Amino acid sequence: MGAELSCTRRGRFQRFVPVLLGGFVAVFPFLPFVNDYWVDVGFFVGLYGLLGLSLNVVLGEVGLFDLGHAAFYAIGAYTTAIMNTTLNIPVLLLLPVSALVASGFAYLVMSPVIHLRGDYLCIVTIGIGEIVRIIIVNNPWGITNGPNGITGVGFPALGPFVIQTPTQFYYFVWVVVALVAFVLLRLQRSRIGRAWNAIREDEIAAEATGIDVRAYKLLAFTLGAAFAGLAGNIYAAKMAVVSPQSFLFMESALLFCIVLLGGLGSLPGVLLGAALVVVFPEVFRRFASFRLLFFGLALMVTMIFRPGGLLPRKRETLGLDGFGAQGFSAKRASPVRGGQVSLKDRSPVQPLHGSGNRPLLEVQGVTLRFGGLVAVNRYDLAVYPGRVTSLIGPNGAGKTTLFNIITGIYRPDEGKVLFRGEDITGLKPHLVVARGIARTFQNIRLFPSLTCLENVLTGLHCRGSSGFISTVLRTPFQLREEREFMEAAAYWLCRVGLWEYRNELARNLPYGRQKYLEIARALATGPELLVLDEPSSGLNERETEELMEFLQGLLREGITILLIEHDMNVVMGISDWVSVMDMGNKIAEGSPWEVYNHPRVIEAYLGKEEEWVGSTS
Amino acid sequence: MRVFFEQLVNGVTVGSFYALVALGYSMVYGVMKLINFAHGDLFTLGSYLGYTFLVWRAAWITERAGLWWGVLGAILFAFLANAGAGILVERVAYRPVYRAGRLPLVVSALGMSIFLQNAIMAIWGPRFQVYPGDLVPTASLRFLGLSLPLLKVVILFLSLGVMLVMYWIVEKTEFGAAVRATALDREMATLLGIDIQRVILFVFTLGPALGGMAGVMNGMYYRSIQFSMGWNYGLKAFTATILGGIGNIPGAMVGGVLLGVIETLLAGYIPGGGAWKDGFTFLILILVLIFRPTGILGEKVAEKV
Repeated sequence: MGAELSCTRRGRFQRFVPVLLGGFVAVFPFLPFVNDYWVDVGFFVGLYGLLGLSLNVVLGEVGLFDLGHAAFYAIGAYTTAIMNTTLNIPVLLLLPVSALVASGFAYLVMSPVIHLRGDYLCIVTIGIGEIVRIIIVNNPWGITNGPNGITGVGFPALGPFVIQTPTQFYYFVWVVVALVAFVLLRLQRSRIGRAWNAIREDEIAAEATGIDVRAYKLLAFTLGAAFAGLAGNIYAAKMAVVSPQSFLFMESALLFCIVLLGGLGSLPGVLLGAALVVVFPEVFRRFASFRLLFFGLALMVTMIFRPGGLLPRKRETLGLDGFGAQGFSAKRASPVRGGQVSLKDRSPVQPLHGSGNRPLLEVQGVTLRFGGLVAVNRYDLAVYPGRVTSLIGPNGAGKTTLFNIITGIYRPDEGKVLFRGEDITGLKPHLVVARGIARTFQNIRLFPSLTCLENVLTGLHCRGSSGFISTVLRTPFQLREEREFMEAAAYWLCRVGLWEYRNELARNLPYGRQKYLEIARALATGPELLVLDEPSSGLNERETEELMEFLQGLLREGITILLIEHDMNVVMGISDWVSVMDMGNKIAEGSPWEVYNHPRVIEAYLGKEEEWVGSTS
Repeated sequence: MRVFFEQLVNGVTVGSFYALVALGYSMVYGVMKLINFAHGDLFTLGSYLGYTFLVWRAAWITERAGLWWGVLGAILFAFLANAGAGILVERVAYRPVYRAGRLPLVVSALGMSIFLQNAIMAIWGPRFQVYPGDLVPTASLRFLGLSLPLLKVVILFLSLGVMLVMYWIVEKTEFGAAVRATALDREMATLLGIDIQRVILFVFTLGPALGGMAGVMNGMYYRSIQFSMGWNYGLKAFTATILGGIGNIPGAMVGGVLLGVIETLLAGYIPGGGAWKDGFTFLILILVLIFRPTGILGEKVAEKV
């Protein structure tokens, strides 16, 4: 075990909590004071735990406000009830069926609205929750039996073994909770989990780092709905009755509270949240009508004193052990520091060398208008492989807009963007990254509450292909890929000198290092073309020089660079070609000195050259 | 045609309640970026306060000054008391959580909502309460062969008047400009010397006050009120807010009135529409959001990258 890598500093408390909890849950029904009533309470803790986990996928991992989650729960419950009572299909067999129906429904209804942001998505989920309930109440084609609900749902049976006593149901639900938690734990520490978290942190950066945001959001909803469908099936079997009263908006709000009470994205936290939400009102039962009053108060008090929830998720410190990659050592991870390989020989991503004279990137007559404003006007730009091309111009000239067009964030009104001769105009950003164009942002956009290592690993996302099933089963393929990711990420962290900060949250880094981290993340995507938006802004002279040296190193390895820059030292120092933009138009281009002395360039800066030459703002 | 016209008046009246409640949502959202889930329950609170006032004092006022003064008194009482409640809610449930970020704020709001709803139940009981019939005016106005209950007309004009005043405050006064500036960019507003606490206080006073007013009018209109009605009303009003464009004062008014009219017409003209109307409401909302994600009057904002 590499000494440096296995520094999983988990507190004693954290290590024992899952074991203690698991043990407690396992023996709970046999504890002396526990009667059938309390076993039932334990069952509902499990059921709400399951629902909490299912919502956590959407809300905790991806950060999507879902306040209509009860809809998926309802679909699961009604699928079971209807198919069991009318078609006599065994309830246990309907467990996967309910999950499938619920997730299919989620996929269908969420597809058209998944692009909505934040609160708009929230209100849509509320709407979907209400629509589902209203449909159930209105009893279309007589299948839901309206407000009275469906009675007579059978017991789940496995051959001769029938689940019917409270204790049996208790274990049934907790086995399902354990399975779901297992799946989620595996997902959390994988390409998929990282992609979800990255979306939660910064959607645009995630997309620009190569994550198909839409697909991963839909995956989260589909999976969350599937788990809610399981809960629906178990609920229907336990109660033998389903009615619309169980799926009110209040139910969704309660689930929302469960996830936040426990701690966003924390699995033990969610289970604790469920326990509180179920047990609290039971304990206060003798205060009858006041118990919800206290519950509301408790919610507020918890949020005031523990806004992160009761058991917030800690980012695991480099969870390499979890991948069974014990043989993985620091030396192999950092070829440079280990002195085994020289930098030139070993770059985990070998960029293809473009053929000599053809431009790597061509921007042809690109125009983009915002309302009446022409931000970019019929712009042409050619970037040749192995060179540094700079785009300069006064503030507001449209440089960043042009970058956003190249990287797929905006779609141009006219014109084309060609990369290696292929038309990439209007491709979504994550596809552009996959083609080999990586970028950084003018105002650093990292994933602030992920660790540095995770930030870089996210960059590797687009180079991987392990999906849901291989992640859950941890196939050799997935393990190998994950290990390769780790090595590549470690390599890039070393390259930018951030290896020692690997387990630090990105937001805790000082500004200059954040810039390097963002560049490392971009490089991890294995780009042929690196697009940097004002890389030297906010850096002092010495740091700027270091950066230029670093960029030149990349250049030698065959990575082509396109940058927006205000610092004329950088532009003059490393550019091979400079294109000058003003008010969306190209006013000059050529070698740095040609441009520097170009009358129109001087005119564009209106004699302010002294002020902006050498300024680092 | 007459039926249609009557339905339209009903729709606009109900819509003006939604609009008044929606204003509160919209203002709080604009400044705080918070969906104030407790707002629906503040509406209920207003409704109960008005009810209590009518039962307790209106007979006394009515005897001396006439029926309408009782009604106005109830509305004014709920308006003022609810403003106080709004300030209290902000102090207790929101101010301590501001720094923690948006999600804890949402949960605190949900907690406040559950608390208020159950507090109302504990005080006034779980059963329906009925606004006293002899204290609510029943006179009718004859107009172009139509018979319009005078109460409806008064409610309608009162809400429209309040909305106009609101519009004037927010769009035309200097303080309104401060509120709008805070909604657009809080940090920048602070830097420019705008007292954010005052703006927050403003939205949390006026929002619930308008909601409370709507609560009393709603009580007089439907006569019976219940402790849990806030959820549904809040949901509707919030829908109206989004429909019109959240954080946008005229948008909330347009959204509210539009929602009221759509609902009433759906219920009136589609067979069995009453049971489905809420479903349709949300369906319309979702469709609007798909095709116009920032609402009807919302401005299109390109995200700065």
